[in-house]
Amino acid sequence: MIKVLFFAGLRERLACDSLELAGEGVETLDGVRHKLGQQSAEWAAALADERLQMALNQELACADAAVKDGDEVAFFPPVTGG
Amino acid sequence: MAAEISVSVQVQGFDPGAEYTGLRSGNTADGATAMFVGNVRDFSPAAAGQHKEVGVLELEHYPGMAESALTQIAERAAARWPLGRIRIIHRYGRLAAGDEIVFVGTTSAHRQASLDACSFIMDFLKSRAPFWKRELDSDGGSGDWVEARSSDEDALKKW
Repeated sequence: MIKVLFFAGLRERLACDSLELAGEGVETLDGVRHKLGQQSAEWAAALADERLQMALNQELACADAAVKDGDEVAFFPPVTGG
Repeated sequence: MAAEISVSVQVQGFDPGAEYTGLRSGNTADGATAMFVGNVRDFSPAAAGQHKEVGVLELEHYPGMAESALTQIAERAAARWPLGRIRIIHRYGRLAAGDEIVFVGTTSAHRQASLDACSFIMDFLKSRAPFWKRELDSDGGSGDWVEARSSDEDALKKW
């Protein structure tokens, strides 16, 4: 399974802070995003936001980063700390 | 010699004076100390130039990644400048106007390294560390998430 986390405005929009996703057929972060978007039109729209940032095992990563079983993936809006 | 790096992600406040003491204690090799403190403002720029008063800010973070992202930023600074000590603190949870949010302190033998490293760390923290601000309404409502500014991303280009 792949652990998926959501933060801030995206977490609220999806009403979900984390879930477990079966890894079959998912090869990249973009693949995770695509598979999650199949849940509903609302999820597809929320995850289609081009400004979303992605992390793989707690490091910022690009959409084409390879994902494997046991990884922790996160999606979130652009960060606003400091 | 490698810089001493200390990173804290915490709810509780911090005392900039005590942090200065920590940067200096037993540190006679470094003649320069640079520090930055970020505080909550009491307004935010809203649409059409109207300023909205902000009573309370709520900061969300990604536990684990927040600490490792700040540590990586400090390590990048340490690889680039000859630094003695690096201290980074970032708070999360509810903060009121005037409260301290973030602290960055750096020491070096001469001033330019600590000044530049302090600025570098803040610039990368703004665009790379997983924290999100939300302005809570004065009536206790959940309020709006702060939008990222493109100027923060642009600030990285000078490094």
